[in-house]
Amino acid sequence: MRATQHDRAGAALRGALAALPLCFAVVPWGLLTGSLAIESGLSPAQGQAMSLLVFAGAAQLVAMGLIQAGAGLGSILLTTFFISSRHLLYSMIYRRFTADQPRRWRLGLGFLLTDELFALTSQRRGDFDRWYALGVGLTFYLAWNITTFIGLVAGQMIPDLSSLGLDFAIAATFIALVVPTVRSKAALATVITAMAAAVLCELYRIEGGIIIAALSAMTVGLLLSSASAGERRP
Amino acid sequence: MIWLTLLLMACITFATRYLLMEPRLPIRLNTAAQRFLSFSSPAVLTAIAAPIIFVREQQLQLSGDNIYLWAALVAIATAYLSRNTLLTAATSMTVFFTLKLITNH
Repeated sequence: MRATQHDRAGAALRGALAALPLCFAVVPWGLLTGSLAIESGLSPAQGQAMSLLVFAGAAQLVAMGLIQAGAGLGSILLTTFFISSRHLLYSMIYRRFTADQPRRWRLGLGFLLTDELFALTSQRRGDFDRWYALGVGLTFYLAWNITTFIGLVAGQMIPDLSSLGLDFAIAATFIALVVPTVRSKAALATVITAMAAAVLCELYRIEGGIIIAALSAMTVGLLLSSASAGERRP
Repeated sequence: MIWLTLLLMACITFATRYLLMEPRLPIRLNTAAQRFLSFSSPAVLTAIAAPIIFVREQQLQLSGDNIYLWAALVAIATAYLSRNTLLTAATSMTVFFTLKLITNH
């Protein structure tokens, strides 16, 4: 049975409403992204295009830091890949949800597949509703681009916007996302390794610090979790 | 050059989100790869956040003057106790900006 127009609009609206609280958490990020774009020498059009096309908060913020520091294209792209690598897992889970969907839905939801969309839709097993997912995804897309726009405007008017400490918003959001996932010794070791390696790379100005820190931390996590999985075997 | 960077970045982020959804691509991740990637999120997010908290002007800042450190401790405690993303972000940012006002950094 095909869903009626009414059901679709209802599902999309429920998705949009479910996304709203998390949109507030995105506000300081969007502002920071917009203002950093100006500060790192991007034109307002480039700053907005970045949010419209790339649509990835962490990758955008880090890339602009790298552009400002004069990093090469290769190192910017490789860092972008590593920051985005967690999406490979989301994509794998979404494969199940979207296997029977038309291609345009796969492409569309693929483009909108953020941490937030994944968190809000992946728990509902069996009853994946594409209209609900679209409502969530589009709401984030709008929130991200509107707050980026405000950041771009504010960044041109208030030159020192990023010195106000908006960067703490990044740290706060990431702590909020990471702490609840630390449920094993392997996860704790991963976080500690990433922390130490990233700080060392920053202090010694080692290029590709995020890649080095993430790869070594993921390796520590994998090794420790394999070891504990081995112990549990009879 | 910036436009090229933007377009290539867009290709990369889209590829990581879409690639494994493509039915014609027979790639599946084995258990080890899945487990490796399950550490990607905490590893990457921590690697981005840690320098913001601990490093100011290329120096390790572990003193009591570092308001990023205090606010981060509040965030960790709130996240641990509440497991609520929004509450954690709101509480620690309020603490951060209050400390910033008081200390006039």
